Amino acid sequence: MTGERKISLRVNGRQHELEVEPRLSLADALRNELGYTGTHLGCEHGMCGACTVWLDGKSVRSCLMLAALADGAEVTTIEGLAPDGDSQHPLQAAFSKHHALQCGFCTPGMIMAAADLLQQNPHPSEEEVVDWMGGNICRCTGYRAIVRAVMDVAESGAAPPASDPEPEPSSVG
Amino acid sequence: MSEQAEMSEQGKVTWIGKPVPRREDRPLTAGAGRYMADIEMPGMLYMVVLRSPQAHAKIVSIDTDAARAMPGVHAVYTAADLPEELKPFPVIWRPPVLKDDSIAALASDRVRNVGEEVAVVVADTQQIAEDARELIRVKYERLPANVDPIKALEPDSPRIRDEWDDNVAALFPFRNGDVDAAFAEAAHVVDGHFKINRHAAMPMETRGVVASWDALTETLTFWSMSQAASLLRTELAKSLDLPDNAIRVMTPNVGGAFGAKWDRYAEDLLACVATRRLGRPVKWMEDRREHFQSTVHAREQIQDWEMALDEDGRILGVRGRAVADLGSCVPSSGIGTQWVTGNTIPNQYKFENYSADIIAVLTNKARAGSYRGFGGPESNFPMERLMDKAAKELGVDPAELRFRNQIQPEDMPYPTATGMAVYDTGDYPGALRRALEMVGYEKLREEQPKLREQGIYRGLGIGCYVHCTGFGPSAMLGMINYDTSGYEGARIRIDPGGKVTVYTGMIPLGQGTETSLAQIAADSFGIDMDDVRVVWGDTSQTPYTGFGSGGSRSNLAMTAVMNAAEQLKAKMIRIAAHTLEASPDDVEFADGHLSVRGVPDSGLTMPEVARIAYLAHSLPEGEEPMLQTQQVFDPPGFGWAYGCHVGVVDVDIQTGMMDWKRYVIVDDCGPMVNPLIVRGQIEGGVAQGIGGALLEEMVYDEAGQPMTSSFMDYLMPTFHDVPDYEIDHLVSPSPHIRGGFKGMGESGVMAPAAVVANAIVDALAPFGIEVDELPITPNVLWRKLRDAGAFEDGRSAASVG
Repeated sequence: MTGERKISLRVNGRQHELEVEPRLSLADALRNELGYTGTHLGCEHGMCGACTVWLDGKSVRSCLMLAALADGAEVTTIEGLAPDGDSQHPLQAAFSKHHALQCGFCTPGMIMAAADLLQQNPHPSEEEVVDWMGGNICRCTGYRAIVRAVMDVAESGAAPPASDPEPEPSSVG
Repeated sequence: MSEQAEMSEQGKVTWIGKPVPRREDRPLTAGAGRYMADIEMPGMLYMVVLRSPQAHAKIVSIDTDAARAMPGVHAVYTAADLPEELKPFPVIWRPPVLKDDSIAALASDRVRNVGEEVAVVVADTQQIAEDARELIRVKYERLPANVDPIKALEPDSPRIRDEWDDNVAALFPFRNGDVDAAFAEAAHVVDGHFKINRHAAMPMETRGVVASWDALTETLTFWSMSQAASLLRTELAKSLDLPDNAIRVMTPNVGGAFGAKWDRYAEDLLACVATRRLGRPVKWMEDRREHFQSTVHAREQIQDWEMALDEDGRILGVRGRAVADLGSCVPSSGIGTQWVTGNTIPNQYKFENYSADIIAVLTNKARAGSYRGFGGPESNFPMERLMDKAAKELGVDPAELRFRNQIQPEDMPYPTATGMAVYDTGDYPGALRRALEMVGYEKLREEQPKLREQGIYRGLGIGCYVHCTGFGPSAMLGMINYDTSGYEGARIRIDPGGKVTVYTGMIPLGQGTETSLAQIAADSFGIDMDDVRVVWGDTSQTPYTGFGSGGSRSNLAMTAVMNAAEQLKAKMIRIAAHTLEASPDDVEFADGHLSVRGVPDSGLTMPEVARIAYLAHSLPEGEEPMLQTQQVFDPPGFGWAYGCHVGVVDVDIQTGMMDWKRYVIVDDCGPMVNPLIVRGQIEGGVAQGIGGALLEEMVYDEAGQPMTSSFMDYLMPTFHDVPDYEIDHLVSPSPHIRGGFKGMGESGVMAPAAVVANAIVDALAPFGIEVDELPITPNVLWRKLRDAGAFEDGRSAASVG
């Protein structure tokens, strides 16, 4: 409760300086302080994966991480996943094509997790997809449509590889 | 056209029946969905709820002084602070056999389950509200708790309601034919004691509300994720002493509901009371632990059934009893789910004699309300288990026994043994036949003994099901004392530019409402889907719907849209005829184009007619300007969907673990509007059914403390737990619905528990193990295997605690 702390976060290529309570989670900082509401909170105890974002290019559960610990980090959220402001990441299109989302609440976390897998392992087997995604819960789809979507992108090789991007600054509403 | 359509032979654009990707997806995959937690307003205050840590206790005192004194706290309310304002929500489904009960917003002198609302704190931030909540001191005097519904039936069991003679909320009897005579003449009788586990809908988004009172206009804007917005508005109006038209219920994107967001909840009313008293918007968001404790659970029933059969295995009658655990109060849906259980026991089978006592009892657990399937899975499991037990008793194949008993297509419409349901259409044996063919049933049966010799215990499980959809005719709801209506409305406005807007009362919960209604409207006018917008989620604009989303009712909304489109097409034809100086009978409407019959090039487009209708410079005599209409569709009967699932599993007898080999689904929801969405609904439903069968259970200890309060101890299916779904369809249109569409949102969840249990029992047939209690965990199976002597021949068994 006591003592706000100054941190800086680079989110989706845009620099943010903010003062946070030590107890503030990264998820709450992204959502409530910076307006990146595409990051969803389904359980707040690290079990459902809806809050998955990338920290320095690797997927993490933003509900389990304190914002103060992310000081100086590069964060990518669902809003910043598409290569540029107008187009979609191939997974975003594939999720729609395969009806891999219904209510859409788990979807940002699903896509962030899957995109991390594909940048590390561009051609995973179905088993590897199932294992990697096993920590993300979806209550609507019954999962197989998500596997179909990820495998579609994996097989087409359309996912961008891992890199150290310096994306253009983008704003959020 | 941005979305793919097809030209039919007549050259007409058709969207119905096409696997059109959803228009909902673009914003949702971009993280641009707007859910309840995302709604923020200037001056907003945050409400948190203090909940009872006791299952059953008297409240001796509540000390809120320290909480009230904390800087940033605007109010702390207990029941004592709101004597006039806490009018409880009534129960919606109230058959005469149901005792009076209501959903109180705050406990006053007694708490009846862990999680019951005791006080609320409203503060500048969520954090301050939570900190202040810690400072409230409540003194409880513990009372003995009821956690077992069967024990709660005993006369000396602790009483949940002092004003009742016992803990029984209702006993609903089904009686039809002469069931005792049927059993007296039976050649075979099989029976079973079944436990359907307490589990829950568990949407990924928890509940929440935002209430904003405008004192100057005396209006309340209420952001809600309720599945029943109109109904909630009416209930809030009564509770808050406001007219309906002073309340506007707005619905943002909803992160799943599956029935859990149909009930009325205390926090709805408390947020309204707080915003009215404080004059600022008030937001409440449930956390996951609260969701486990206070959002409705479902399904829990303890059942005993007997089935009488003749020498040939034809069912003569069924009798039994189901005891349902409602938790600490009667839910908004009353004993609706339990009534549906009693009413669907006959499933796909032909017999006339039926007797069932449906007993609903209160305990000191969370309220049990709606969950996808709404009583259906609770009847499917015992009935399909009884079919397998009967097959075993008679020594016939379980598929063959079903064929002998299924209602035939030519028997339709078929009044079932409950005396309270009439199936409309369907080819039940056709679905079973197709499923067996897809799975390769005969070959699998041949392989089974050879596999067992190799130590592979493979089993086949069949689950046939029915699914009551398009719920339902208002007069029928009246007959069963359902205190709301069943119709669905649609308003269509064609704007001056000729584009179409459809207003629906349906609440999208992930079921693709926008896309499928746009398909229907686009087809009705023969136009591009991009020219149709669908508006939902605002009771000030959208049609009243007494029931809300649930009950697999999309087909009713679709019919309303088609009827409204017909009205507007007729009006456009009259206007075009007037302009073209032709008789309306000679004007035809095709592909958004109005022309004189035989002169296709000489007509008017929809935008041209729309302009004429809005200008109103030259309309036919008596024709009203503009193009808008509202139609309400009240179905004349239920559309009964049905189907058959066949599962193939391997059980590891050393560990009790099972592996999916196959999962085959044949479903009949009539003609499909969007096969992609239908597939998604079926797959999601099956996964939920599998979760309930194998993994999920709300566990309470003897003192009524919930043992499952997080996703660490309540296991939902993940990527690893689901099979590949192999799906095919039959098509039996419903005569009650325009287009013949039946609902399909709940069919997937009906049969999986029976499929799983039947397959496991079949796999373990050499050990004679029966599985009639859910969930079927590896622990349970391992113990059954041990007790059946599976490990006595020297094979070592892994110890499982």
